[in-house]
Amino acid sequence: MSTQRAEAQVADRSVQLAPPLIQMQGIVKVYPPNVLALDDATVSFADGEIHALVGENGAGKSTLMKVLYGLVHHDRGEIRYRGRPVRFRSPGEAIAAGIGMVHQEILLINEYTVWENIVLGAEPVDRLGRIDRKRARGEVQAIIDRFHFALDPDAIVADISVAARQKVEILKLLYRDVSVLILDEPTAVLTPQEIPQLFAELRELRNEGHTILFISHRLEEVLELAERVTVLRKGRVVATLPAAQTTRSELAALMVGREVLFSSRRTPQAPGDVVFAVEGLRYEDEHGRVRLKDVHLQVRAGELVGVAGVEGNGQLELVNAITGLLQPTAGTLRVAGVDLTHAPILERRRYIAYVPQDRGRMGGSLAASVVENAIMTHHRLNPRLTRWKGLLLDRKAAHRFTDALAQRFNVSMPARAAPLRALSGGNQQKVILGRELLLECPFILLDQPTRGLDVGSIEYVHDQMLAMRRAGRGLLMISANLEEIFLLADRIVVLHRGEIVADLPVEQATVEQIGRYMLEGKA
Amino acid sequence: MNILTGLLNGAISGATPILLAALGGAFTFYAGVFNIAMEGMMLMAAFCAVWGSFTFGSWLAGVLLAILGALALALIFIVFAVWLDTDEFVTGIALNLFTLGATTYLLRQSFGVKGVFAGPGIDPIPRLHLPLLADVPLLGAVLSGQNLMVYAAALATLISAFLVFRTRFGLRLRAAGYNAASLDSSGVSSARMRVYSLLLCGVLCGLAGAFLSLGYVTLFSENMSAGRGWISLAAIILVNGNPWGVAIISLLFGFADVLGLLLQSYQVPSQFTAMTPYLATLAALYLYARRHRKERSYVNR
Repeated sequence: MSTQRAEAQVADRSVQLAPPLIQMQGIVKVYPPNVLALDDATVSFADGEIHALVGENGAGKSTLMKVLYGLVHHDRGEIRYRGRPVRFRSPGEAIAAGIGMVHQEILLINEYTVWENIVLGAEPVDRLGRIDRKRARGEVQAIIDRFHFALDPDAIVADISVAARQKVEILKLLYRDVSVLILDEPTAVLTPQEIPQLFAELRELRNEGHTILFISHRLEEVLELAERVTVLRKGRVVATLPAAQTTRSELAALMVGREVLFSSRRTPQAPGDVVFAVEGLRYEDEHGRVRLKDVHLQVRAGELVGVAGVEGNGQLELVNAITGLLQPTAGTLRVAGVDLTHAPILERRRYIAYVPQDRGRMGGSLAASVVENAIMTHHRLNPRLTRWKGLLLDRKAAHRFTDALAQRFNVSMPARAAPLRALSGGNQQKVILGRELLLECPFILLDQPTRGLDVGSIEYVHDQMLAMRRAGRGLLMISANLEEIFLLADRIVVLHRGEIVADLPVEQATVEQIGRYMLEGKA
Repeated sequence: MNILTGLLNGAISGATPILLAALGGAFTFYAGVFNIAMEGMMLMAAFCAVWGSFTFGSWLAGVLLAILGALALALIFIVFAVWLDTDEFVTGIALNLFTLGATTYLLRQSFGVKGVFAGPGIDPIPRLHLPLLADVPLLGAVLSGQNLMVYAAALATLISAFLVFRTRFGLRLRAAGYNAASLDSSGVSSARMRVYSLLLCGVLCGLAGAFLSLGYVTLFSENMSAGRGWISLAAIILVNGNPWGVAIISLLFGFADVLGLLLQSYQVPSQFTAMTPYLATLAALYLYARRHRKERSYVNR
């Protein structure tokens, strides 16, 4: 089915639930000099609904919400709120009108208590100008109780979980009597266990009459929570659909503009020799706590092994022990038959390609240019990139290398000399993935390789991983996303409290069974 | 008995300019401004105080001009570091060096002297005799009869602590330093809080400078702040800006000062004893650096 036809079809289904609370008509936003972020976007939000905005990175969903919130000013178009045209000059004006936004990045004062953070900027004071602590605490406690948020108003923010901090951000808006809540990727910072709680609280807010607009690119969440879904692509609103009448495949196709496959494209193949083996790996941290306990793990050539587990069960330590960032207490590490247990990091890099989960800190340097990020490690291992016995970089060779990488891995960048920061998340990951895959290592370690990427980029990364598998490399992937593991892996191992509690061929495993292993350590 | 009261009196006098400047710096510290311009503000204020007191024949005019002089520097700091977003450290150094040159030049232009200007025409800040307290033995000798600015410093400590920890202003001020983006997103401009903190710093450094040239002594000499602004910075950093802590540290520095004078009477060379406050500063900075190195230590994730 062609996309145009799909769009025409879905347009018929976008029925109104109630008279619109907010109407955004023909919104155009151009970021100087010439980036068209919103291209005649039209959407309306009903009073008291949960409305999701989906789209790939750069589709304009955040910009659209920032326009509504007064953080970004649109060049053309009209916003009507409660029937009247509005144009907020600042977030302060939007909040005063009852529209508040929780950003993806949590902005709280870690040193302050929960109640201090909530009242900051709207503090009740007595005649002497003192903060009326009793009243402030009381008011905060009252809204916590009203919406059944489990929070201690006197807790210091630095001591509470990320999920709790997000609640503080929401409460901060509720304290200011906001009736429309905009949430920018609220689940991105949460662990899978924390998400149902957030959803329950958002539904509670909706039941109390609040309108919730949330941005996401996790389609399964969108379908679970939202009543209506608006899809954006390249700054345009492609469709608004009732969640009950659409599917994930349809949304993905609308987002990307073509069909996206969610089924496994893994072809069966017989694995070869063992390329990666850890034996009896044990690690105790400086406090004597056992973080890795007798880990045995093998990966064969042409095999992709997925490591599942609730975050914090030894994944970080396993990755660091393999890459050489920590020295295990006991055990051995062999890659392609070479003992790397005590090898320095540069030596390991000859055998281990590594795609870290944090692109900006471990994977590369956001401030450094694309060229510098592309040749990292290669400049030490590949003599063609340097002259004078490695003393001088060969700029021309580095540029040729970067161009070749960009071409082979479809990196779109403003310029070779542009900082990595200037690239989209997907393109940053392509630079890092490309650099690592070009190392031609027999073993590839991937830590959350698709975290924070949009649907199109995820598909691309997965394709590259499967290509490496076909080329006979051994791959070890750590992922918090079970679906991703089932999609790609030949074998699943589960880490629970630093121990491997399951090691199964994917054909013999079910999601429920792996879930139980992750939570309880046994099936 | 006389030595003891002498020592305590000396320590209080020595502590007062450091305390006043450090309280000013504490506001900027809480607001997240890396402000090292207390030295320059104090020096400018010391000159303006003498000029105002001599010209108008009144110590009050001197104090007012001192505050205006220090505020002028604070405004320059605001224009550059807050408005134009230049580096705070470089701005501070530039202001300190500018003030040293400017006051030396103005000294020659205004009074036609080099090095020091003193004379009976300068009206000093009066001492205050507290009627009841003066009669208490020991305590009276220390607490009564101090310079007016000493009491002002004590009051300033009280007010600063109240402002920082109890009021809406204080909550927002500290928020600006802890996480400016968070304060901005709460609808309060963090840049405005930084401006307020610098203005307060100007006023307090103005009082500190006025005390130096119209209270501690009654004269102006080139570079008479002599590193007290830096010592106040060390005091702030040592106690993370807490006004009560700043008061205690300032008294310790004042004590180190007067101890240096005392040591001179035991044949310790004066050049050596003059180092004591600065050695104390070095020790303070070492502690600070060590704490920060721990925070910077490498963490994956």
